[in-house]
Amino acid sequence: MTVKGSTSGTSTDNEGRYSISIPDRNNVVLVFSSVGFAAQEVVVGDRSTINQTLFSTSAALQDVVVIGYQTVRSRDVLASVSSISAKDLKDVPINNAAEALNGRLAGVTATSSEGSPDANVRIRIRGGMSITSSNEPLYVIDGVQVESGLSTISPQDIQTIDVLKDAAATAIYGARGANGVVIITTKSGRPGRTVISYNGLIGIRKLARKLDVLSPYEFVFYQAERSRQQGGQDSLSFLKNFGTTWDTLNVYKNVEAMDWQGEVFGKTGGTQTHNVTASGGGKKLTYNFGYTYNDDKAIVLNSSYKRHLLNLKGDYRVTDNLKVGLSSRYTLQNVYGAGVSAEGGSSLSRLRNTIRYRPFLSGAQDIDESDPFNDPNVGNGLILVNPIALANAEYRRKTTDAYNVTVNAQYTILKNLTFRSTVGFDRNKRTDRQFYDTLAPLSVQNGRKPLISLDTTEAKTLTNSNVFTYSIKGWKNDHNFDFLLGEETYDLKTKINTTQVRNYPLNIGYNDAFKEQTQGTVVTGYPRVSESRFTQLSFFGRVGYSFKDKYLLSANVRRDGASKFAPERRWGTFPAGSVAWRLKREKFMENVDFINDMKLRFGYGTMGNNRIADYLYQTIFSHNGSRYYGLNGQPVIAYVPTALPNQFLTWESTVNRNFGLDMTILKNRLDLSVDYYINSSKNLLLNVNIDPTYGFATQQQNVGKTSNKGIELQLNATILRKPGGLNWTANFNISHNKNQVDQLGPNQTQSLVGGVVDPRSWGVAGQPTDYILRIGESIGSMWGLVTDGFYTVSDFTYNATTSQYTLIPGTVADSAIIGTIQPGSIKFKDLNKDGKIDLNNDRTIIGNPNPKLTGGLNQQFTYKQWDASLFVNFMYDFDVYNANKIELTNAYSTNSNMLGIMQDRWRTVTPTGQNAQWVRNVNGVPTVFGIPPDQLSALNANAKIWQPLISNGAFIPHSWAIEDGSFLRINNLTVGYTLPIKGFTSVHLSKLRFYLTANNLAIITNYSGYDPEVSVRTDARTPNLDYSAYPKSRSFIFGVNATF
Amino acid sequence: MNSRFLNQMVIFAAAFASVFMLGSCKKYLDQQPITEVGSQAVFKDVNTTLQALAGVYGRLSGDAGYGLRLSLYYPVDNDLLMGPSGNQDDRRAMAHYSLTSLNSELPGPFNQLFEGISLANICIDEIPKMEMYSNGTDQQKAQLRRMQGEALTLRAQFYFEALRNWGDLPEHFLPSYLQATENPYPVRTDRDLIYDHILEDLKQAATLVPWRNEVSSVGDPVDERITKGAVKGLRARISLYRGGYSLRSSGTMQRGSNYQTYYQIARDETNDIISSNQHSLYPDYKALWRDIVCGHVVIDPNGELMFQVTAIGAGSTADTKMGYANGPRVNGQGNSFVNPLPHYFYLFDSTDIRRDVTIAPYDVAADGITKIGQASTNLRDGKYRRDWIKGPAISPTSAVQYFGIKWQLLRYSDVLLMFAEAENEINGPTSAAYNAVNMVRRRGYGKPVSTPDVAIDIPGGLSKADFFKYLVRERALELGAEGIRKYDLIRWNLLATGLAEAKTAMTTMSTRTGAISFSYMIGPPSYAANPANLPQTMYFRRTATTDDASIWANSLYKTSPSSAPSGTTAVNWVHSSIQSTIVTSATRYAFGFTPGKSELFPIPQQARDANPNLSQNPNY
Repeated sequence: MTVKGSTSGTSTDNEGRYSISIPDRNNVVLVFSSVGFAAQEVVVGDRSTINQTLFSTSAALQDVVVIGYQTVRSRDVLASVSSISAKDLKDVPINNAAEALNGRLAGVTATSSEGSPDANVRIRIRGGMSITSSNEPLYVIDGVQVESGLSTISPQDIQTIDVLKDAAATAIYGARGANGVVIITTKSGRPGRTVISYNGLIGIRKLARKLDVLSPYEFVFYQAERSRQQGGQDSLSFLKNFGTTWDTLNVYKNVEAMDWQGEVFGKTGGTQTHNVTASGGGKKLTYNFGYTYNDDKAIVLNSSYKRHLLNLKGDYRVTDNLKVGLSSRYTLQNVYGAGVSAEGGSSLSRLRNTIRYRPFLSGAQDIDESDPFNDPNVGNGLILVNPIALANAEYRRKTTDAYNVTVNAQYTILKNLTFRSTVGFDRNKRTDRQFYDTLAPLSVQNGRKPLISLDTTEAKTLTNSNVFTYSIKGWKNDHNFDFLLGEETYDLKTKINTTQVRNYPLNIGYNDAFKEQTQGTVVTGYPRVSESRFTQLSFFGRVGYSFKDKYLLSANVRRDGASKFAPERRWGTFPAGSVAWRLKREKFMENVDFINDMKLRFGYGTMGNNRIADYLYQTIFSHNGSRYYGLNGQPVIAYVPTALPNQFLTWESTVNRNFGLDMTILKNRLDLSVDYYINSSKNLLLNVNIDPTYGFATQQQNVGKTSNKGIELQLNATILRKPGGLNWTANFNISHNKNQVDQLGPNQTQSLVGGVVDPRSWGVAGQPTDYILRIGESIGSMWGLVTDGFYTVSDFTYNATTSQYTLIPGTVADSAIIGTIQPGSIKFKDLNKDGKIDLNNDRTIIGNPNPKLTGGLNQQFTYKQWDASLFVNFMYDFDVYNANKIELTNAYSTNSNMLGIMQDRWRTVTPTGQNAQWVRNVNGVPTVFGIPPDQLSALNANAKIWQPLISNGAFIPHSWAIEDGSFLRINNLTVGYTLPIKGFTSVHLSKLRFYLTANNLAIITNYSGYDPEVSVRTDARTPNLDYSAYPKSRSFIFGVNATF
Repeated sequence: MNSRFLNQMVIFAAAFASVFMLGSCKKYLDQQPITEVGSQAVFKDVNTTLQALAGVYGRLSGDAGYGLRLSLYYPVDNDLLMGPSGNQDDRRAMAHYSLTSLNSELPGPFNQLFEGISLANICIDEIPKMEMYSNGTDQQKAQLRRMQGEALTLRAQFYFEALRNWGDLPEHFLPSYLQATENPYPVRTDRDLIYDHILEDLKQAATLVPWRNEVSSVGDPVDERITKGAVKGLRARISLYRGGYSLRSSGTMQRGSNYQTYYQIARDETNDIISSNQHSLYPDYKALWRDIVCGHVVIDPNGELMFQVTAIGAGSTADTKMGYANGPRVNGQGNSFVNPLPHYFYLFDSTDIRRDVTIAPYDVAADGITKIGQASTNLRDGKYRRDWIKGPAISPTSAVQYFGIKWQLLRYSDVLLMFAEAENEINGPTSAAYNAVNMVRRRGYGKPVSTPDVAIDIPGGLSKADFFKYLVRERALELGAEGIRKYDLIRWNLLATGLAEAKTAMTTMSTRTGAISFSYMIGPPSYAANPANLPQTMYFRRTATTDDASIWANSLYKTSPSSAPSGTTAVNWVHSSIQSTIVTSATRYAFGFTPGKSELFPIPQQARDANPNLSQNPNY
């Protein structure tokens, strides 16, 4: 507390009492201030007792943020940075901290690809720029770049996450900054007595949504319908499988339906997390030690997740000038269960079995007994197996064993000059063990003998950075300077070991199969080993200047050299600059009382993206076992060049322009940030099609260009603020981003991907592509035919004598896609108006994966001992490619159930079993026959959807499968109660809080699949694909926070 | 500014300098591949060079090579065989000549052949530069020379396959990394020039590669690698194509210049092989296929199998789909892509062993033994058949699609027939020409090859033209379903004729009136030429277990019995369904064939998009 305009002042005692002598009570103004609270000025007047309450300042203003290699007050930040702190994370009972970022920060999306406990969380900062390289941001934990992202850190151990979004902040990371930077600071100890805290939670998980499927009767009815397609009689296989004729079909009305989804996905999962931390220290040494255990029984049969995390952080003040610090973490994680899908074609989909397997048990079949029916379509891998038997036949365990040690030393050379050196070592070893017993599709294709695959990936990173910082404060009163100069090395070694062993004896267990590989036959070309090393050397500097705290200026530059490029193209320079103008400090703003602070920012800079494979610039031969030739019955493993080298390869780079406005208004109760940005990338790596007569169909070239434009708004509001009463704060953000492809390879305006063309989306052999890269459109645009309902009898002429239906000449025909056209066949739009549907001329862009708007609203309430929070997030106007719908409504394979919507299909058999429509070969030409048009129309008066596709075209992508994914999700609702402490002092309990949380409580959406927030493929070119995803769950949690 | 400030600046400058010292080690950024290696490590010794050569050999096999597409998809339809039905722009359109440049089966083989060429180019460039090539031991030098010759031969084979399918093509005889950047859009070179180049290469290769009986003396094991016989046989084959017809960019079928020169080369090369006595016919035609080829035997004792594409790994990279994609289906599994045509069946003499080897008129039931007779419109090719495979045999329930069966690229009987053809062209039907054809025939009937047999030998005193017609038929009988026929017809400029006359023959069978005959080759034996005398229906025994025509309960050469023999099932044979399902079907036999277009495939659109200088073939 000071007397305004003088140097005299005092402090309150522990209970807040104070006394002060003042010179002249009439003109004295007392200034009450405290760290973290807004200063209050009080005119003393004639009072002798003045009780004053202080209100905390807006959180954002008092916080500091970490920007590259430096910590600054957030009010002085010249860049676009969003932050989240421990308080926001505390109620989110999740295993992956990355998930906590979803919807909370403007311009940051964190989408989990599916619902599995270890699902990949895709973090995108202002949309992706790169087409083929990674769009993952750079992760920096306690000052050290790590490759493993946020998966090896417990949310409970995080102090803050700062997300750097524009070049002004990220350019200091040079070649690795283009995708944004996520900086994590873990909790440190504080001097004082040892504080032990326990955070625990237990809860249950439930399948959030089920897909409707046909009932047993409807299923058998359709199988009979299908079996009569050719020729009009029940096929022998139908009779064999269902042992019935139409007379006895009715028995299936009384057969009990098997809810396979309920059996396979509907298990009530359990989740528990226990986190214990101890922190404290003295004047010299502070420490923080934590242990976290996660145990998650997922909702999918045989799936579970277990993780142990240890972390230790310590800081030691050796002398007044020298501080050293240690930060280390250890992770052991095991994920059990084969999951629902794997990257690749339809043969690897497990969802199929759950949806399509016969919806009842036949005869004395046990619930986990494999199929007494013939496997349909073994050739395409579209085997149907009892989903429970399949889950038991496939074993998978993914282990992550990782540790990280970081040591830093900071030496204050002079008062204003410090040197900091950081050395980090990170090792991440992942082992993926898979075992397939005889029922599994992979095993069936390999002669029905058990097989395994065993992959190990080990990455070791060694980084070292050395940084000087120098500052001059108040030079000639008004000038402040900051200098930073640094150097960094980065060394990444990767080793990948894969093996596959087949032909194990029957009935071998998975443990024996992994251990005793000699019992099987190692697949030709295995084991494969691939090792690589990447080194990078960088220099960087930054100059910061501010004048009267009114004009702020910052410039930085980084020079990176990387081993990935040819010596003459090894070095790249990444400059950036930013300016800010704090208007509030101008005279004309002084009296604008409702504005507490106001700042305009502009930043411009260049960053790079080096997430590309090593050694691409030189001719190299691999010898990894993938190529070989047989001689004398033995494989000779071949040396083959891996690619046609391109000695001109260089960084992908992005130029970023950012305009920002930060405002604090209404007595510091509302912070507002608006950012507008234009990002343009060039030199994007594309696998350009080159003349294949050179022996390679493609070559990596730096030719692509894309751009992103967007606007973001972030609001932090203190709506109600009453000490001891109701407090209500809200954080809201909304952002819009538009992505566009500006240039592809030479002579190239578009490139088709997906289907079974690399990068694959889904499907069976021969399936067409379903995504497109096209200049002027966004990356990941969906590509296909436009659905146009179905043919009706009015499209045909009918010959009453022969009962023959003939398509009226001139009617648009899609026989090239679906085969024989019948009444009820699916129809597509003839875009080029040539009277026929063909893939080359009638496909168009049918979906855009990018939402128009994304955002979230988080509200926190406290009232006396109670607290509550409610978090909703949303995405508006984006497309999801529901490929499940295409596969699960076709009848490509016999004896396969379908989604419930096919109940409303065009029918070719009357309810009493009379044939209404059938196809027969006449002179080798399939010809359609049926009952008279009026009767056929009457039968199908209520048909809403086409006949299930049987052969050709059963997997063709078309616009019906593209759905609007817009959603509003009640992501998290928490209610907590903190016990009054007094009764517990004997056990040194200083805080005890209980809370209840519901996660993914509800979602409002028109999307028909499990969940619209889905993207099962990692490639940027095939986004928002919903194909055999692990369904998301809803969880209800009870938790405790206790501090001793 | 006070001195303290200056002091600070000095220290700061010193610090600045030290920072740049720290990481200035330039070597830090020089990272070389670890598990992958540069060319010096590859072309280091005999063993590593063989592994580089294995990469070149490896481009022969796999799905995009002779493992599936080049061997089974590309050579149909022809006058003997037909591919699967359908009108999508895939293998079915390709088989029936209705394909477009976007056909999904084009880029894979096109690219793989050129990958083979580019890999061979690296070996051809690097091997002679090896220290050991000039200064190694005699054995090392001989082994490296052999590998150089093999690389030259393989490059010739890849180019040959590409030229006969696509015509003129860019010319690449140097490693791609030396060329691709400075000349990204090469133009097509006249095929005759490329043929001349590879024929010179093969001439050189023949001086580098040992005969099959000399392999051990070089220090190499006896295996499937190329020997001198294969080099010379290939040179003969390519000479016949160089001297034969092909579709030129003008849209007309034209013969290469100086064609007789090339027939002379073919004659001399085949004559060299014959007189070397290194190779001979395996006495038992059926056992050659059933026991040697389908029996996973490395090489046959006679060296009849002169150039085999090996198959290993049970995957699409280096195996073949022989016996799965073609041949009889077993337990419903398999694709039976290749269907011999009904008139082809009757081109064989009833006692010709080759008929029931080349054509399998059955599928196999789930028990792996019982045979299910097939209609004449649904015959299976039989040289690669799943039910013959042994060492190991394939279980009927196995869903595996790769059986490790080697595709036969060149057999000695082809060398004999090429000799006869070239000799006849240059010198007329000499006794040497007769002898070569008759040796092949006698073996086909199971007779001693060197003993004249009037019942089997072709008639004496034929004109040059008539001898050729016998030869055209003999190649059909001996080499059926070995991926040769379509290309033979093209080089003879008989593809359009062959397809048209095959349709006529099938129509004749379908209507059961008139006689089957061909203008360009000798027709069926007289007792099989008149469809009216042939069975309309065939009855197979439901218990049949043999692997040949004896599954039938009635004669193949008499009209059908009036009622079904007991315990049999009927299938259509010389029946009107031939016409409806094959000849007039809108989605079947050669329906898209257009003379002046279909003799070449289109250049894949993908390649033309990447290289605008690649012009398209005529009429695509």
